[in-house]
Amino acid sequence: MSIRLSTIWSWLALAVVLIWTLLPLYWFLKNSLLTPDEIARFPPPLYPLEPTPAAFFNIFGLDYEMADGIVRRGSGQANQIIRGLGNSLIVSAVVTVVTLFVVLPLAYVFARLDFPHKNKLLFAILLAVALPPVSTLIPFYAMYVRLGLSGTLVGLIIVTLTITIPFVTWMLIGYFRNLPQVERLARIDGFSRFETFLKIIVPQGRSGVAVAAVIAFLFSWNEYTYALMLVNGTTANTLPTAISGFLFQHPEPSHLAAAVALTMVPPALVAFFLQRHIAEMNLVDPVR
Amino acid sequence: MRAAQRTAELSNLQFSLLLALPVLVFLLLVVAYPLGYALWMSLHEISFFGGYKAVFVGVEHFADVIGDRKFKKSLWVTVRFTLESVALAMVAGLLIALVLNRKMRFAGLVRTIVILPWCISLYGTGVIFSYLAKGQTGIGTAIAYALGIEEAVNVVNKQWVIEVLAVGNAWNMAPLVAFFLLANLKTIPSRLYDLAAIDRMSRLETFLNVTLPPLRFTLFVFTCITTVLSMKLFDFIFVLSGGGPGTASATLTYRIYKESFKDLDLGYGAAMSFMLLALILGTTLILYGLWGRREARSI
Repeated sequence: MSIRLSTIWSWLALAVVLIWTLLPLYWFLKNSLLTPDEIARFPPPLYPLEPTPAAFFNIFGLDYEMADGIVRRGSGQANQIIRGLGNSLIVSAVVTVVTLFVVLPLAYVFARLDFPHKNKLLFAILLAVALPPVSTLIPFYAMYVRLGLSGTLVGLIIVTLTITIPFVTWMLIGYFRNLPQVERLARIDGFSRFETFLKIIVPQGRSGVAVAAVIAFLFSWNEYTYALMLVNGTTANTLPTAISGFLFQHPEPSHLAAAVALTMVPPALVAFFLQRHIAEMNLVDPVR
Repeated sequence: MRAAQRTAELSNLQFSLLLALPVLVFLLLVVAYPLGYALWMSLHEISFFGGYKAVFVGVEHFADVIGDRKFKKSLWVTVRFTLESVALAMVAGLLIALVLNRKMRFAGLVRTIVILPWCISLYGTGVIFSYLAKGQTGIGTAIAYALGIEEAVNVVNKQWVIEVLAVGNAWNMAPLVAFFLLANLKTIPSRLYDLAAIDRMSRLETFLNVTLPPLRFTLFVFTCITTVLSMKLFDFIFVLSGGGPGTASATLTYRIYKESFKDLDLGYGAAMSFMLLALILGTTLILYGLWGRREARSI
């Protein structure tokens, strides 16, 4: 009896966790499948009565003919969405690559070697993690206005690096610290320090490096504050700022939901990988 | 021979410098320079209209900020939002970790679903929760009508907007907390639970004496992390409530945004952003002094 009771409890707990996670997502994303008719309905429908994928075509500017012959026209903002998608991919890819180049050696040095003022510099990195984006943005904004960098992808990439680099460095320090101490052995085998780092440490820590890359990509892909202030309404628009076009100007819930669903594709693709490896990144250790 | 070897081999310091120096220079550029520039701006009155002009005003901005009633209100909004977010995120994170720690089928799938809220963006979370909580589209309205109460339920109002924000923020942060707590839970040997059972400990006693102790330092670190994240949060609030209704949810970050980028008073905004930075650092230091130091020593 007591075994059965505890099984029921654990099923119940699992159900609560899944509902907490999925209900908000469901409630919003169902809008992408609603017909204009259902969207206008009050109270809001609990589920799409006649689910239609029209919105997913519309946001790319394609017309969609529904079963009853009514054509739902492509969104007038399709150009912005497509350009935003391209810009977001460019920014995220460049940020990921630059972040890795910068962060791998930095984290390695902090994790495995001793040098003067190490703790002070580590503190500077943690400070950079704590900086609020709105504060960092003020000097960048003023600087960009004068240099003509506002409204450019280069400007956005530089400022996005200020988020990814400190955070990913911090993650990787704890990770590198927990790898086996192979430097001495590598030395005996005739590896130089650079070779040890490139040929032994990095391959050995490839799952950590992969997490670092994924996190850098996600942070950059999900970045909105900087994009809102620096590139909103220009040709360097990223996907989130392109979407906030509908959000604030032409409320069209099905298009909005479809576009937001589009932004969730990369996060959903990496979720399985992240849940397996995220806890290997020791966020707790460097603070100790 | 040995001398030759020594020159060919780099010392620790040289190697570190070689690897880290370019990077540190870059970091200085992207962190120290803006901070310094912001400090300079906070001491000047900056105007863009009629050409760029900067007039030195000393600490006037800082004095104005301290005397500003709107600043005090925003400070209080930030504190309330942060307290609620952190409490909710830690409790939800702990509960999720305990649930995930059970042996179950499809564990990989469940964990993949559970981490999703952390992977998606904060503006996305903002849109999601605004649809969930606002009267026209909200789930509250749907439930009320299903129960026969014909009235729209809007919780994005003056009274509850901060709680809505805190729930959404906690929803986004909890998975991160959960996965790190879960990693700690996995290190607890199952033999300890057997011993607790032999000692006839109740579930609560087992939780307090066996499960909780190894989690305490992680709980401390994530309390700090979630505090910092909540205090510096902007995009989510901007999308969900836009600081409203009125100024009911105007956190410090929102106020800084408004002063700097809407009213283009960059000096004033910069001064306020230093206050926010002081709040963030002060809170983490206090947390460390009251809690973290003890935990660090006990390990």
